[in-house]
Amino acid sequence: MVSRWMYISLVILYSFLLGPFIIIFMASFGANANLAFPPQGFTLDWFANVFETSQFIDSFWVSLQLALLSTIVSLVMGMPVAYALTRFQFAGSGLVETIFSAPILVPGLVIGFAMLNFFVLLGDMQVMTGLFIGHTAILFPYSVRVISASLRNLDPYVEDAAVSLGANRLRGFLLVVLPNMQAGIAAAFVLGFITSFNNVPVSLFLSGPGVTTLPVSMLSYLEYYFDPTIAALSTLLVIFTVVLVQTAERVLGLSQFV
Amino acid sequence: MMIRRPNQNRTIILLVAPAFLFVLVFFVLPLIFLLSQSVLPEEGGFTLQGYLDFFQSRVSRIVYLRTLRLGLIVTGICLVMSYPAAFVLARMPARRRSFLMSLVILPLMTNAVARTFAWLIILGRRGMINQTLLSLDLVENPVRFIFTETAIVLGLAQLFLPLMVLPLVSAMENIPDDVLEAALSLGANRLTTFLRIVVPLSSDGLVLGATLVFTGSVTAFVTPAILGGSRLLLMSTLLRQKAVILFDQHAAAVVAVVMILTTLAVNLLLRVLRAQQS
Repeated sequence: MVSRWMYISLVILYSFLLGPFIIIFMASFGANANLAFPPQGFTLDWFANVFETSQFIDSFWVSLQLALLSTIVSLVMGMPVAYALTRFQFAGSGLVETIFSAPILVPGLVIGFAMLNFFVLLGDMQVMTGLFIGHTAILFPYSVRVISASLRNLDPYVEDAAVSLGANRLRGFLLVVLPNMQAGIAAAFVLGFITSFNNVPVSLFLSGPGVTTLPVSMLSYLEYYFDPTIAALSTLLVIFTVVLVQTAERVLGLSQFV
Repeated sequence: MMIRRPNQNRTIILLVAPAFLFVLVFFVLPLIFLLSQSVLPEEGGFTLQGYLDFFQSRVSRIVYLRTLRLGLIVTGICLVMSYPAAFVLARMPARRRSFLMSLVILPLMTNAVARTFAWLIILGRRGMINQTLLSLDLVENPVRFIFTETAIVLGLAQLFLPLMVLPLVSAMENIPDDVLEAALSLGANRLTTFLRIVVPLSSDGLVLGATLVFTGSVTAFVTPAILGGSRLLLMSTLLRQKAVILFDQHAAAVVAVVMILTTLAVNLLLRVLRAQQS
């Protein structure tokens, strides 16, 4: 059934998907500053430049803190929702499901714009607080969906057994359910972290003077400079992502949750 | 299996309330405020003038139609590129497939600025394509590829291709080998089998993938910002321009609402199509 031209289409697909990464990789070691291709010579200057540009270093820490914080908060608040949706039948469950999948349906740029206007209305708000709220809101759909999927795979009778043997529901959840969904939680964590860490549209409006996320600062760097520094930084980020994703895929089978 | 027990309502409220309130206050309210901004200008009074202005302005109409048109083209390109390839992936032994699928996800996990930057190197004045054209003497001066629709389409297609491949592969995985063998042994050739068995049985994945790619393309910001700039605006870059450069929050709110309505309409269409299939 699978014919030769189908394999050719597979090769075309992968060259289109991965080719740009190879080009970025090559450009980040090239000595010419004007991004001429193919690159001439070999240098690590652009990598050095990444670490000497304070805008990248500062925004990296903002992005890292933001991703960790919003992922954890969206998981801690999303997990009870997923539990309610998978373990109980209740009247408003349709509404709850809709409202927690809504942030995925609204364009990120629109979310950021609407939030900025709303925060201005509320009065002074720290830039970091605004970013944190925006990122947490867009992560709910992922955490609720992934945790729900992992709860559905767990037999509710296991938990009931714990309860009938004398544990209260909270103890039952903490000692029986939670340890059994480690993989789901870890998958939701990786997915949420990467989604927040890479987000541009929501952060764009919510970033402020001095507090910017890494992808947004990469974008604004491109407005002024056109050299391989961004290629070097991208190479570093790709390596970081490959390690993270391959580890997650190997350990958890991430692709089934995306 | 659902559990029912007394005090259930109190438990449910306790479980759902914190996150629900968070989303209500910080997500739903801002959107309601946005909607009100688009119909209540600063001068006061309710008006739909903002929407009339939007659809009567030549520039916004061109931008809106361009956004939809490029979205359709990107969806078409992604579909053609992924369909046969997804079939090969779905028929592979599990180990090899899982490795290749992780390569499909990889681009999805890298930020859009990094991925779009590659196109500046490929399409730039001294980029790969121009150097090739110049060295082959096909052109005398570098051709401008950046800030063209072609550049935006290429960038968006590369960005959203995984969103087409993933649902297609998972739909095609579920087609049993027996069904294909039955069709082939009963005399259908491979093309007929593909068109009459594989395509209908994977239409779920196709519709989902197309929706994801289309809505992603018409709302993406980074790619049109880098590869289109202010010369070739799409809805997202128009929204940014109105809000940040022209400081016209009323007009920006209108653009934002039109973007929401467009994506909602496409998602609604998806639901209708799915309901028809089942």
